[in-house]
Amino acid sequence: MRCVHTFDLGASAPLAEEPFRAFLRETTTGGDRLLALFAEEPSSGRFLLHAVAGGSAPGRFVRAVMEVSPRSYRTFTDVCPGTHWFEREIYDLFGLAPQGHPESNPLRFHEGWPKKLFPLRSAGAPAPDARRGYRFLLVRGEGIHEVAVGPVHAGIIEPGHFRFSCAGETIQNLEIRLGYQHKGIESLFPGDPGMGKILLSESISGDTAVGHSTACARLLEAITGKPADPSAERWRAAALEIERVSNHCGDLGGLSTDIGYLFGAAHFGRLRGAALNLLLKITGNRFGRGLNRVGGIGLRVPGIAPEDLMEELSRLRAEVENVGTTLLDAPSVVARMEGTGRLLPHTAKTLQFVGMAARASGRDIDARRDFPSPAYVESPPAKVLLDTGDVMARARVRFLEMRASFDWLSGVLAGATPTGAIAAETIAPVATRRLVVSVEEGWRGEIVHAAIVDAVGRIARYKVADPSFRNWPGLSFAVQKNVISDFPLCNKSFNLSYSGADL
Amino acid sequence: MIESILKRVRTGKVTVGLTAGDLPAPFRGMPVLGEAFRVGNVAETCAKACATDAIDPEKKTMDLGRCVFCGLCEEACGGEGIRFSQDPRLPWGKREHLVLGGPVPGDATAPPDLRSLLGRSLHLREVSAGGCNGCDLEAQALGNPIFDLQRFGIDFVASPRHADGLLVTGPVSKNMREALVKTYDAIAEPRIVIAIGACAASGGIFRGSYAVENGVGGVLPVDLFIPGCPPHPLTLLHGILGFLGKNPVAAGRSSRRDP
Repeated sequence: MRCVHTFDLGASAPLAEEPFRAFLRETTTGGDRLLALFAEEPSSGRFLLHAVAGGSAPGRFVRAVMEVSPRSYRTFTDVCPGTHWFEREIYDLFGLAPQGHPESNPLRFHEGWPKKLFPLRSAGAPAPDARRGYRFLLVRGEGIHEVAVGPVHAGIIEPGHFRFSCAGETIQNLEIRLGYQHKGIESLFPGDPGMGKILLSESISGDTAVGHSTACARLLEAITGKPADPSAERWRAAALEIERVSNHCGDLGGLSTDIGYLFGAAHFGRLRGAALNLLLKITGNRFGRGLNRVGGIGLRVPGIAPEDLMEELSRLRAEVENVGTTLLDAPSVVARMEGTGRLLPHTAKTLQFVGMAARASGRDIDARRDFPSPAYVESPPAKVLLDTGDVMARARVRFLEMRASFDWLSGVLAGATPTGAIAAETIAPVATRRLVVSVEEGWRGEIVHAAIVDAVGRIARYKVADPSFRNWPGLSFAVQKNVISDFPLCNKSFNLSYSGADL
Repeated sequence: MIESILKRVRTGKVTVGLTAGDLPAPFRGMPVLGEAFRVGNVAETCAKACATDAIDPEKKTMDLGRCVFCGLCEEACGGEGIRFSQDPRLPWGKREHLVLGGPVPGDATAPPDLRSLLGRSLHLREVSAGGCNGCDLEAQALGNPIFDLQRFGIDFVASPRHADGLLVTGPVSKNMREALVKTYDAIAEPRIVIAIGACAASGGIFRGSYAVENGVGGVLPVDLFIPGCPPHPLTLLHGILGFLGKNPVAAGRSSRRDP
């Protein structure tokens, strides 16, 4: 399968620092892109850094591993800026300090936590230095003032803290402090590769339950040797595209709210509901929970016949088309969105941003093409790529992606059998230490799940990289030199998950 | 402009009534405990399949405050012990009212003096405290034209100073505890706390993690729990209106058992 890959860790020795650094540099300059960087403590006091990359050809995965001292290593942000947040996360969880890193503020832990608590570091490892407190970047200059927003925001939305340094109305710097949603998800994954892990993955980011649980299910299937039936894979992909449509509708509604265009807000709010109700009809839950099982899909799935679903989708499509063109052609909407919150293609490429936001800034990446799951192998949805990088581009990308999804859905459903099956055959998995990686293009961007599996088939370390985690720094770049009153609009145009980033 | 006016006319009314009845077939709503669950060892089979310890095979109870409605128990017992009905009306109330086999939720309606104080208006401040954003999205959906919470005089407000109470989602992450308590303190008394979803009731799927408080109950005095993962907007409406003594259709829970 091209969306999942198993590496045998049995024979290979860790790389020295220079080749590992070269591997990461290659992900910035070459055709492969960084998927995840994470640490592991295979035995007490011994620490490994794993890097996974790929995507230059469909289904291509590469990886590298390096052993680091129990205290620190030299940062890789100079050769691969995309590792920026990964290194901060590794420090918070394992106490391995990236020397020379441009920002050493904790990402996960706030005041009030024990200063020497590094939850994934074993008690037997040498005691690390105490974690330093959080320091906001201080912008100096005449008339510079700070505006602090959050963690509790005005709307019904997840918590996070934004610190603006402004000159008048203009934003000079935005510092994003997250961690409020941190619930230690990765610490709950080790152990048996059973159904409980799929339930956990459904709650990584509630709006991406299908994307995450599908990535997780395929990973568990690779561990246990129970690949899902092709018809189950079709339903997974269909649910994933409907999840995309529901969220894109919700976001176009949210963008409408933020510019006071109530027509768009009301209609897209309603259409989002209609898409969620389709997920309910397939899976029994408005967010697609209950879709995935290890080796297939749930017994109640799909709860709707393919023909009926196609009919409902064509009705939804007509409405999305109608409301969407009205919205994106309205001069008052265009005036507010064009040129606002620009994320330059150069920035998106250098910092390795992913998904829909990256595709609005000219970065041609899509896991459905680069790591295609069985239902996408023959023909993934049509490519959508814009390069202006402003709020307008992110709105348009959403609209065009919905069109592409509707087109693609009619093809996949036309040949779908009404039911999926639970895997009948099992392939005896290899009995060595393995690294299993699973990638899926969620509606925000590529979701990466990686697991280190021990020789008896139990999960020793589980890593989740949500696209939000990759893209949050992009918001800081997009709002620079914009007025602070446009921040809600810029923020909504990314609509990143706090839970997915904080884990 | 003319396009949007025409669209408005063509769309018509989309708001749903409260007595919408059962939801489409695969929906997992109110669980029905079969005879086999209470006698025999089917409860044990169900308990083994449960990832959140919602089922007590000794007491033969099912705690909806822990249930994430995944349906694995139903799959394990073939629907003999537990079968999920399509009814979105779930029990609500104090923590103990969420246990199937426990007291009925009617006892947990807000006291008459509080109800008369609120009159026909309830303003809530929402705080997301470590959840996955599923419950937040359903709380948000209450404001869309389909569920239209405002028709009942209930609304979400931006400031705790404008609120009569809190609606909390999530297991309460340790990093959100202080902000949650401060938001609660900023609300004038009398104030109510509504905790929605399995995480807010018990920690849900995150129960036992080093980074969460296993529910709102250990942090704030909760007046109303509503179960679900996440609760369907109709489940939320049913619970909130029930608490306010305004629900036109009470859930006759005793009648939801198989004959």
